[in-house]
Amino acid sequence: MSETGTRGSAFLTKMSQFSKEYMAIIAILIMSVVFTLTSPYFLTWENWKNILLQTSTVSVAAMGQAIVLLTGNFDLSLGRNVAFTSCLGAILMKSTALSPNIWNPWVVILIMLAMGTLIGLCNGVLTAYAGLPAFIATLGLQNVCYGLAKLITNATPIATFPNSIAFFGRRYFGPMPWCVLIMIGLYILAQFLSTKTRLGRNIYAVGGGKEAAFFSGINVKKYTCLGFVIAGFLASFSGVILMSRLNSVAITNGQGYEFDAVIGSIIGGVSLAGGKGKIIGTLFGSIFLITLFNGMAQLHVDPFVQDVLKGFVLLAAIGLDVFRNRKRA
Amino acid sequence: MDKDYILEIEGLSKGFPGVQALDKVSFNVERGTIHALVGENGAGKSTLIKILAGIYRADAGNVTLNGQAIAFKTPHEARVAGISVVHQEMKLAEPLSVAENLFVGGILTGRGNLVDWKEMRRRAKEIIDNLGVEIDVRAPVDSLTVAKKQIVEVCRAVNMNCKLMIMDEPSATLTDRELEILFGIAKKLRGEGITIIYISHRLDEIFNLADNVTVLRDGLMVNTVPVRDVTKRRLISMMVGRELGLEYPKEAAQIGDVLLEVKNLVRNGVLHDISFNVRQGEVLGISGLVGSGRTELARAILGIDKIDSGEVYVRGKKKLYRSFREAIKDGLGLIPEDRKTQGLVQIFSVKRNICMVSLDKIIKKGIVSARLEQQYGEEYAKKLRIMTPSMNTQVQYLSGGNQQKVVVTKWMMQNSEILFMDEPTRGIDVGAKTEIYHLINDLVKQGKTVIMISSEMPEILGMCDRIVILHEGKMVGELMRDEATQERIMEKCV
Ligand SMILES: Nc1ncnc2c1ncn2[C@@H]1O[C@H](COP(=O)(O)OP(=O)(O)OP(=O)(O)O)[C@@H](O)[C@H]1O
Ligand SMILES: [Mg+2]
Repeated sequence: MSETGTRGSAFLTKMSQFSKEYMAIIAILIMSVVFTLTSPYFLTWENWKNILLQTSTVSVAAMGQAIVLLTGNFDLSLGRNVAFTSCLGAILMKSTALSPNIWNPWVVILIMLAMGTLIGLCNGVLTAYAGLPAFIATLGLQNVCYGLAKLITNATPIATFPNSIAFFGRRYFGPMPWCVLIMIGLYILAQFLSTKTRLGRNIYAVGGGKEAAFFSGINVKKYTCLGFVIAGFLASFSGVILMSRLNSVAITNGQGYEFDAVIGSIIGGVSLAGGKGKIIGTLFGSIFLITLFNGMAQLHVDPFVQDVLKGFVLLAAIGLDVFRNRKRA
Repeated sequence: MDKDYILEIEGLSKGFPGVQALDKVSFNVERGTIHALVGENGAGKSTLIKILAGIYRADAGNVTLNGQAIAFKTPHEARVAGISVVHQEMKLAEPLSVAENLFVGGILTGRGNLVDWKEMRRRAKEIIDNLGVEIDVRAPVDSLTVAKKQIVEVCRAVNMNCKLMIMDEPSATLTDRELEILFGIAKKLRGEGITIIYISHRLDEIFNLADNVTVLRDGLMVNTVPVRDVTKRRLISMMVGRELGLEYPKEAAQIGDVLLEVKNLVRNGVLHDISFNVRQGEVLGISGLVGSGRTELARAILGIDKIDSGEVYVRGKKKLYRSFREAIKDGLGLIPEDRKTQGLVQIFSVKRNICMVSLDKIIKKGIVSARLEQQYGEEYAKKLRIMTPSMNTQVQYLSGGNQQKVVVTKWMMQNSEILFMDEPTRGIDVGAKTEIYHLINDLVKQGKTVIMISSEMPEILGMCDRIVILHEGKMVGELMRDEATQERIMEKCV
């Protein structure tokens, strides 16, 4: 009797383990079935290419958020980081057009990435070394970034950039946009680094238990800071892709990415409490989110209603995370 | 039949994935007695307690309290029924004050439904004073030492006015004097008709305190007997199912050069002018009451806390570690006192925790080797006989003693030359204790040094070559193994 009992519960644990890890994929599948039934356009390659294109920007920023979440923190500045770095890039590119010898587009991209990384470093230093709550530090930088973006662009959109940067958003490899391949490549790399290297191990350790990490000789401040630095870099990378894909830039770029990223991360299995979850899950979580809004757009749901729904999805995701963590106690 | 039982347990079973924690356990507890529950790590003691307290549900079996069948669904129900638990893993609201913690769930209100802080503090102080300890009732709990937190836990249970108090290893962190106090309280409560279920791995306590004892082994009940009818030897063999060797298997090692020397160490307000040294092959004990600066001394030497003046020499060279990391790299190590937060990442697997300090050993060409991690995990888990369903089990699901073994294992793998152990055998069963003592023997035989901080006097006396005694941050004495006795140490402590 107790034999079958244990076996039955072992099976259940396995199932719940499986559904936890692949919840995002299961959710995407279920949603796809629903939208396929309601919209004839949904299951076309054209539409899916669109979904993947949109995912490629959000999910790269979301990867950054996932890493910060793994260290047990939270980055509110990611979205505005995307905005500021892409605006900065646009301004520099425009001056390229005027005097082509000064700003090579590739140099501009490097500057964008450096700037994004620097913003991450500010977050990291303020949080890890100066001891500010991450919430406050990153909220501050969120405002700084947004202010700077407005300042340098005068809040007006900028369009058309040199062809040399089209690669990041508009060129294709066969039927596949390069940016989607880049995204997948980045995720595979991040998944590998996070599980198989000292860097990744220590990031998990810091988030899983700060004190235990300290008493194991891990430099807690350094890895907390590094989480933000990597996130800053990825946000600006997302900015590069976005700029190239849209071939135009506005201060609203990346708006709300930090929350989209949280939804993506949590649905993908990363925990708000830190130290738990797979980075690769965030990719599926992001696809889930984009698919959901793609499908709703096709059902002609009012965009404002979509915003409200997004708020609910965020709350639901956080609730889910709290529930998952409570159950283990 | 003729006895008055407050609690009757019959056929109680509980399984977790991969383990049967309790298997048809039956025994009764007499009203107004102190009933001890003993068994090896992972025997199922805490699980049983958690079922009584409404935290877990049993798979099968009946529990009767005061003649009524009970199956609590929440801890609250258990509390209302008069069962109060001091848990092995503390469950205090850390940022709140001591007084608030004593009244959790029943905040006192005065006029206008406002919190009556004055009355609450007064009552809290009364309870604490009653125990003869000094704790500021306004202090936030997280500012207290582990031992004081434990006392707060006991106070809280007292305050809940219970009929059946369960103490799950309350003594694991207490020093002798605090223990005396705890025993005093337990006996006083028994005099007032309260029944106590008492779990401990320190068997002397059982003989000192308990009326009856129930032995569990691997989830099965071995026996329930009156304490006066058994000997310690007999009890141990019931627990572990075999005869154990010497309790303190001390083997003298070749004493070599001075490895660590501390000169006039000062940390303002905490440590005052402390000087001592340790040699290769030596086990140095650091004894003293809670709050005497034992842990602080280790922290200062290891670069965790700042030193205000004085010097530390390692292998004859002057050192000033700016971080604990630096100290680790230089061959020092520390088994921290609080396994729950300092020792382990609760949500990580057993093997991942084991390899956390010595990550280098499983990294080949920059890549973490899953194979090596598994191999090292298994090797060390076997050495210390860690009971776990698998290497991938999260440590939070291990029994308390097995968690402690994982912490010890981490540092065995690191193989530090100078290893500080802060309460290394806390919550570990007799068998595993002996294994740790053997490990200490092995370390010093390899020419290493062990510095052991322990509240358990017999352990210090049994395993150390030399004992340094601290009192209020000052070094008040140093005794060699052959001149040290419990009385001589206590004399200097007070
Ligand atoms: N929540 C849980 N999930 C899975 N397994 C558990 C859980 N709680 C306990 N166990 C397992 O049940 C067994 C009994 O554990 P328990 O904590 O009752 O032991 P114990 O007798 O209190 O040991 P110790 O003296 O080390 O505290 C152990 O093998 C443990 O790993
Ligand atoms: Mg226990």
